[in-house]
Amino acid sequence: MKTFLTATVLALGLVSPALAQDINIGFAIAKSGWVEAYDTPAVTSARIRIDEINASGGLLGKQIKWIEADTKSDQAQAAQAGQLLVDEEVDMLIVSCDYDFSAPASLAAEAVGMISFSLCAEDIKAGIQGVGPNSFSASVLAAVQGATMAEWSVKERGVKTGYVLLDPTIEYDKGICTGFDWMFPKVGGETVGRDTFKNGDASIASQITRIKALAEEPDAIMLCSYMPGAGAAVRQIRASGINSLILNGSAVDGSYWLNAVPNLSGFIVPVQGSIYGDDPRPEVEAFNVNFEKVSGSRPASTYAYPGYVLIDLWAKAVERAGTVDSGPVVAELEKMRDEPTIFGPRTFTSEIHHQNSAEMQIIEITNGTPAWIDTWTISEPVPLDVLLK
Amino acid sequence: MNAAPQLLFDALSLGGIYAMAALGIALIFGVMNLVNFAHGNYIAFCVFALILPSSDVVAVMFIGKLPTLLLIPVILAIGAGIAVASEYVIFRHMRGATPVAMMISSFALGFVIQNVMLTVYSSRAKAISLWPDLNTPVDIAGASIPLLQLIVIATTLIVVAGLALLLKKTRIGLEMRAAAENFTMARLLGVRANVVITGAFALSGALAAAVALIMATQTGVADIRMGGQIMLTAFIATVIGGLGSLPGAVAAGFLIGAISVVLQTFLPLEIRAFRDAFLYLFVIVILLAKPQGLFALRSAGPRV
Repeated sequence: MKTFLTATVLALGLVSPALAQDINIGFAIAKSGWVEAYDTPAVTSARIRIDEINASGGLLGKQIKWIEADTKSDQAQAAQAGQLLVDEEVDMLIVSCDYDFSAPASLAAEAVGMISFSLCAEDIKAGIQGVGPNSFSASVLAAVQGATMAEWSVKERGVKTGYVLLDPTIEYDKGICTGFDWMFPKVGGETVGRDTFKNGDASIASQITRIKALAEEPDAIMLCSYMPGAGAAVRQIRASGINSLILNGSAVDGSYWLNAVPNLSGFIVPVQGSIYGDDPRPEVEAFNVNFEKVSGSRPASTYAYPGYVLIDLWAKAVERAGTVDSGPVVAELEKMRDEPTIFGPRTFTSEIHHQNSAEMQIIEITNGTPAWIDTWTISEPVPLDVLLK
Repeated sequence: MNAAPQLLFDALSLGGIYAMAALGIALIFGVMNLVNFAHGNYIAFCVFALILPSSDVVAVMFIGKLPTLLLIPVILAIGAGIAVASEYVIFRHMRGATPVAMMISSFALGFVIQNVMLTVYSSRAKAISLWPDLNTPVDIAGASIPLLQLIVIATTLIVVAGLALLLKKTRIGLEMRAAAENFTMARLLGVRANVVITGAFALSGALAAAVALIMATQTGVADIRMGGQIMLTAFIATVIGGLGSLPGAVAAGFLIGAISVVLQTFLPLEIRAFRDAFLYLFVIVILLAKPQGLFALRSAGPRV
């Protein structure tokens, strides 16, 4: 154990010689194991913003350096990685994309009152209500994604009847459905049925039988799930001849899985920015090109973006506070109202360290090809009591 | 739509998948007293064998591109191959070990397979378009079911019948049955242990490959963790079937599939998310009533 720690500390030292006059950001992220595929794109984006800031003279006149510790996609290792970086006295801690793997590390930061940012957790618990008052997330709450789908589909597609298909395996999925259930009746939609399935289910034949038993096919199916279960469900739904619009959360963004459902149509995803080269905001496409230059390939999904937003917002708060000390920086972050970023305006308050409303881009997949079709901001932020349900 | 036949087909097709996986586990337990927890990883391994080894997010078909008549035997052979290889490399050297030690090494083996796949293919789920036409629904007896469901049911029946013939009519089958009943006695009577065990592993691996093909066609996705859930369910099926009993494994596989579908259909929404909890409650009840399983082998009881 001692050898391991020594080795890790040595490795940390070799990766980046941390100088006292620099600003140090700690990354407690998965560099191995299954979470790695989700963390790496967001980390790459964070580094892009760090490099930009350093190139234009740094932050408070200092260069930003980073050190990292591997959570190995393991919760116990995540706690250790977080502690290691806290002991290194970094100025800010960046933690994994998923709440389950980010919380153990951010709790280590919270214990010493240090600010921590999750790369893309979309559960309200990755913030004041869970980890504590110094933790933030750079992404958009799952409930906002579900609410966006509800309001947009009713207002823009004339959807009247909806069917809710929930995969309760992870909290994120429940968040999507919670947001949909809150908004859908408010805008006049009627939920004609609901069902659950498990992400690893070998077959969802019974769930499909139940949808087909309805007197009329629902206008839309709200699918609250993630890959691979979501892809498997869509393949089986479409194969059974159900042609309802399928609404989703951001987790299914990306064209990499589309081979699973040949010629898929009527599939809608809300995202923070389009990876498909057609985002109406030229800065987003410029970012995609830059991302490819840095990492060798374009972003595979919208989850690359929050990393960039994270550093952008934190650096602004540091500039305004004139210090990297967590207290003043948190106070500055909490003053942000519709703070512009290239992926849309962001707001933090002393109650919510997340986005409970956000400008989302709507992507529709038609004949197997995803394309940007609309921009939508929900008419009312998702209230805290709904988020805590 | 006619509810009863629909329910029946849904139950039979899900049960068929479980039955095939359970059979794979029961075969090895029968000859070696080994609960092979790497079985689920064999399934994932066979699914990933369909695509080119690469960590890119977009999967490119590899063996999956072969014509069907070639693809099926090749994948079955790959499944058999990895199972036989794991026997040769690991389990052969553990013949004298306790069942617990063997079970733990099977966990370790599964871990190794999964992590090798993680390194080669990355953890992101990948799309596989294998025989998408098989998901086209057909109308039978008032039920609308995907063609694949019928194929699953038919395949299970063929596999079970084929295996029954093999066990009843061939020498290796006779030896396997003898080995399953009493391995030591069988060896004393001249049963060739290595042949029987290698044969059981090969069959078990081929069954894992068959499950892999069905899963890939049904879901269209490949995920390194995908065999885990099936492995767990299938293991439970082998336990309620009576560990080591092949007909028991098949019957219990179908039973679990049927209970799962019935629960999914009739449980009220509020508790439907806890479907598996109710499923396992049934399992506990069955085991309380028949601790040795529904089709316990005579050899499984206390021997003194």
